[in-house]
Amino acid sequence: MKSRSHITFISMFLIVVITGSITHAAPVRRKLAVEAGRIITIAGEDIKNGVILIEDGTIKAVGKDVDVPWDAFVIEAKDQVVMPGFVMAHTSSGLDRENENMPEVPFISTFDSIDPISTFFEDSLRDGVVAMLILPGNNTLLGGTGTIVKPYGRTVEAMLIKRYTGLKISLLPSPNTSRMGHMQRFRRYMSELKDYLEDYEQRKADDEEEKKPFDEEIDVTKQSMVDLLNKKLTAFIYCNRAAYVPKALEIQKTHGLKTVLVLGPDCYKAADLIAKSKLPVVLAPQLIIWETNEQTNEEEMKVIPMIFHRAGVKFAFQTDTSQYGSRYLWYQAATAVKYGMKRAEALKSITLYPAQFIGVDNRLGSIETGKEATLLFLTGDPLDAQTWVDQVMIAGEIVYERAKDERLKKLLEPPLKIQEPKDTD
Amino acid sequence: MRIYVILLTFLLLVTVFIAPGWAEVTAVKAGRILTISGEPITDGVILIEDGKIADIGTGIEIPENATVIDAGKSVVMPGFVDASAVQPVRGDLNEQSSEITPTLRISDALDPQSKVIKRVVQTGVTTLFISPGRQNVISGLGVVVKPTGNIPQQMIIKDEAALTVVMDMDPTQGNRIPRREPAVNFYYRRPGTRMAIIWMLRKSFFDAQQQADTEPISDPNLAILSEVLKDEIPIHVNARRAIVIRAALKVADEYGLKLIFQECTEGYRVAEQLAERKIPVVLGPFYYYPGSIGQYREGRQVNWNNAGILAEVGVKVALGSGGQPDTIDILTAATFAVRHGMDRDEALKAITITPAEILGVAERVGSLEKGKDADIVVLSGDPLDVTTRVEKVILNGKTVYQ
Repeated sequence: MKSRSHITFISMFLIVVITGSITHAAPVRRKLAVEAGRIITIAGEDIKNGVILIEDGTIKAVGKDVDVPWDAFVIEAKDQVVMPGFVMAHTSSGLDRENENMPEVPFISTFDSIDPISTFFEDSLRDGVVAMLILPGNNTLLGGTGTIVKPYGRTVEAMLIKRYTGLKISLLPSPNTSRMGHMQRFRRYMSELKDYLEDYEQRKADDEEEKKPFDEEIDVTKQSMVDLLNKKLTAFIYCNRAAYVPKALEIQKTHGLKTVLVLGPDCYKAADLIAKSKLPVVLAPQLIIWETNEQTNEEEMKVIPMIFHRAGVKFAFQTDTSQYGSRYLWYQAATAVKYGMKRAEALKSITLYPAQFIGVDNRLGSIETGKEATLLFLTGDPLDAQTWVDQVMIAGEIVYERAKDERLKKLLEPPLKIQEPKDTD
Repeated sequence: MRIYVILLTFLLLVTVFIAPGWAEVTAVKAGRILTISGEPITDGVILIEDGKIADIGTGIEIPENATVIDAGKSVVMPGFVDASAVQPVRGDLNEQSSEITPTLRISDALDPQSKVIKRVVQTGVTTLFISPGRQNVISGLGVVVKPTGNIPQQMIIKDEAALTVVMDMDPTQGNRIPRREPAVNFYYRRPGTRMAIIWMLRKSFFDAQQQADTEPISDPNLAILSEVLKDEIPIHVNARRAIVIRAALKVADEYGLKLIFQECTEGYRVAEQLAERKIPVVLGPFYYYPGSIGQYREGRQVNWNNAGILAEVGVKVALGSGGQPDTIDILTAATFAVRHGMDRDEALKAITITPAEILGVAERVGSLEKGKDADIVVLSGDPLDVTTRVEKVILNGKTVYQ
């Protein structure tokens, strides 16, 4: 009798400990039902008063007539707009330094440089970005490989979505080089790489002939370039000016690379060429540039997304902090809509398209059955400047709440009355 | 012969009398007119004669000879007034021969063919305040212009509109203290500290005060400063940090100056003092964080709702583009001010009537009222919507952009 009570006690204690540790490790509720006023699915039509059913962080069902199971936790969002989180296909922010000071460093990775406490990530989450590909800057010819992260987590490992994705090739001449020298350097690197690979294959064949075990690995400094040639990595080719675009297309063709073009504002002049190549494009943060018409001497506004849109190029937006709105992906999309782009297409350019470009569209970019439940809860229409991101859900877990955002409060509310003489330089 | 003379005189008289009848009358029909001065008008008409608003309201009869601009469902607003605008001038904005140059007029350097003027008009701005650069302690006299005309005189609507004083650290930029070598370089002479900036300012006004009773004042610099002391010319003080704003208030108290603050990035920290003294502010370029853009290294604190907080306690707030028209247009400034907490109507006033009042040109521009200049912006929708476009800009009754 006595021993039995001991056993009961111990087992009860164990149950308490185990369940406690489980809830501690995974605060995600297993089944969730989001009842939203409007769902912008991106994949299809908008749904008014719809329900999103989530199980283990994955979307199980979306629609108007979805039965909410009895054991699901219901999230009321009747006066909110729910849409998939924004995705950024290219950025060099959030790194302690963007560029290595040597031109050919394909072996380095931004994974080692991402600074999780950078305010950039905090801002990104607040602005509704849920995934971003962080690539090295544009000052290096072969800049290194990129990392896809979510802007949430205390360490890079916790933020990680996908390591080793994308390799930066910048056609912008490195400091102290001409364009000729820059292109020559690239060609020389590729031909040396080819020679090395031929030698390597030769050695491999020789060893196999002699029935010796072949255990030589590919040089680590060349591995990422080899992966690029094998299409395991996507090349993100940066073109600062329209003149570099043909070079980028030539590189893509000769080496048969999987390519995304990262363009400067000037590249709109090559829009038709890019359209013909059917390559995906990441536009510069600056969407409007002014040019003087040589004939009339009038100042003309060039709306870059519209030029690419009319040419039939599929593109994604990126952000910077140079202007009022350019730090927001929704503002970039709204600017395109302002000058005539279709709403649905503009919204895709900040969600689904960038997700496709960086290869995470199986998880992110739209609200569809089977995708990750990474959602934004907005106070209104995403393209309205008066709309705020109320909540961000990443894989079924609410990771941001505006009501609890102390920093935002500090930035918007009047300061507490301080003692006057406290102001020191 | 005589009959010819009589005939000619008769003909002349006829043309003179008939001419007013031929005067250009334009009527703008719009679904919604935001007059700013009063309530919005639905389905109204603005009658323009000789570049002025002849009548505005609903149910106005449109004369037969009038050219009708039908804006349909669009929203019509007064042209925007930018009180810290881009400078359409030729050459450098900063005079480097001296730190105290109150007699310099930026109107002498105006360039009507400037590219920025053609750009700025497309963003809906129809009145600009242009001031000299920010590298002198007292940098000179600003001018209020309209972005139209082929010669500077056609642009100017108010010359000597304000004296620009800079109390930020800008005048010390690049300056060094001479060590061993003699002070021959220009940069060796100018102020190196905030103390020196304020000392120079104080000394200038002190000298002007000393000379105030002598008539006439021989030094032209002091003549201008004594006009400032008599409140004949307003002064615009460029001040970003709270510490600078407080220092400016102190100097203003000493000499009885009436101030207008420019930029005022940390204005929210001294909002009550500004409201108490009825000092208007023109907020300059907006920064999300200090140091995020090269220009703003001063200050460590920003509040996104600077405009809203100031307006809330009763400070007259104007929103300026901060001289960056190709990146920031003034309507976006208002849109984001509202996003960050400013009242809607207040924000629309902050880009129209308030800057007009601050610049002293409110009798001509800033709102849609009878007798004011016909500066009209036609927008495709709500002014504070990001997806709204500027469809048409009418300046002095003439369509200058569409």
